[in-house]
Amino acid sequence: MQIHTNPQNLKYYKVYLKVEEGVHSFLKKNGYLKIDVPVLSPALIPESYLEVFKTEYRFFNRKEPLYLTPSPELFLKRILSKGVGNCYSLVKAFRNHEPPSSLHSFEFTMLEIYKLNSNYLDLAEDLLALLRHLCNQIFQKDHLVFKGVIVDFRKWEKITVSEAFRKFASVNERELFDRESFLRRAKKKGYVVDGYSYEDLFSQIYVQEIEPNLGKNGFPTLIYDYPRQFAALAKLNKDKKTAQRFEFYIAGVELGDCYSELTDWKEQEARFVEEEKKRLRTGKIMHPVDKDFLEALQYGLENCAGIAIGFERLAMIFAGAASIQELKLITITDNL
Amino acid sequence: MRTNAGNLKKGEFIFYQGEVWQIQKADFYSPGKGSALMKTRVKNVKSAKNVDITYKSNESVETVDVESVEMQYLYKDTENIYFMDSRNYNQYSLPLNIVGTVADYLKEGQRYFVYLHDEQPISMRPPMSVRLKVISTEEAVKGDTVSGAKKPAQVETGVTVMVPLFVKAGEIITINPETGQYGERVKE
Repeated sequence: MQIHTNPQNLKYYKVYLKVEEGVHSFLKKNGYLKIDVPVLSPALIPESYLEVFKTEYRFFNRKEPLYLTPSPELFLKRILSKGVGNCYSLVKAFRNHEPPSSLHSFEFTMLEIYKLNSNYLDLAEDLLALLRHLCNQIFQKDHLVFKGVIVDFRKWEKITVSEAFRKFASVNERELFDRESFLRRAKKKGYVVDGYSYEDLFSQIYVQEIEPNLGKNGFPTLIYDYPRQFAALAKLNKDKKTAQRFEFYIAGVELGDCYSELTDWKEQEARFVEEEKKRLRTGKIMHPVDKDFLEALQYGLENCAGIAIGFERLAMIFAGAASIQELKLITITDNL
Repeated sequence: MRTNAGNLKKGEFIFYQGEVWQIQKADFYSPGKGSALMKTRVKNVKSAKNVDITYKSNESVETVDVESVEMQYLYKDTENIYFMDSRNYNQYSLPLNIVGTVADYLKEGQRYFVYLHDEQPISMRPPMSVRLKVISTEEAVKGDTVSGAKKPAQVETGVTVMVPLFVKAGEIITINPETGQYGERVKE
């Protein structure tokens, strides 16, 4: 690993600062309370697919493990359950096993926003207004051009995951929601399926065939209702096949992930146990599970929707940069 | 040879649909669920066509055995770039669309590495940096040096690069031939 200083990135960094200002001013004006959260925590929410950074607190003979938080979610949901109302954090997040690249970094900035008495599609409207606000602040108009693609923030292009699979990957709804048929279809397409799960192939086809088409029709794209296997901490829809979750894209770049938050603590606990088992099975760092988080859910989390946005990616779009690394005056690179 | 897609690195060669491709970009990517992925952009060594392939990071990929041979760069024309293997005086050519803009920074008579597969040239290894003499550039004007102000300079291979204001005609500079970025001033 190496430290680099990049004075040539100053012009992009200045846009990054403008986006930051715009986020704070918009959210403040719209009644969201800014919450400062810790980045070190003694317990985390178990998530099977991401690796964490572990460190240690020491005081004479006392030693206690601490973990760098992969998102501010555990703190924000606790404080939400205590009645602070709509809120957000713009904070550093840490994910191990993520080499720095044009869209990734093991240390990045996350914008996480929660809105009470709302579902995922309600929050989408505030998000669109935020994007329009940023665009107006920076370009004095409702649209921008990124990598030759015009993106107009006056409306969403909305598409369900099921429609997207039909349109871009020729996978019909019956195949998408049936494990066996889906794997058969994937194999026919030439993907390696032996030894892999539905989730593996779904992700692979999604990234290979769907993602490159999103956010390229003149508007930002909101792709929603993921198969229940991808529910994570989201509520299920009435059909029980899909989860109330969306992701949004600009010019093929994924920027954020939104859920109608699961408030059923029993369901949440079951998912925690499952995720923890998977962590153990895949040799991930085992950390204490945040049990009080479950209690917070049990006693007070109202219906709400939450979204997590990769802040550098968002700023990259407004800066017209080719990589999130170009926004930084100081970068750490992995030379491997 | 086979390897896990997660190990793929820029510059390596793989077989895909029976043809040889060179990795231009390989990004590890961990989506919300399911296997981690390796997003690659590969270039066909014959047609120079670029294709994006997403692999599961532990998916087995067939890599291509290549030999890297140091050769002398002879010249280029509008379509090809020519090298000579000084061990046996064999001449080889590579299409310019395979070599890309790196060719703009190569100096005739210098030695570079060419990749052979089944004794056929398929690509070249761009040097980390090339040393080239500045032929012409304007005298420095005062500028905002904090933001890294730059000016254009023509170097001996004919191409123009952006250099810091203090660089003068006649000086030797290093350039990354893959990005065209200025590195530093060096002594002859």
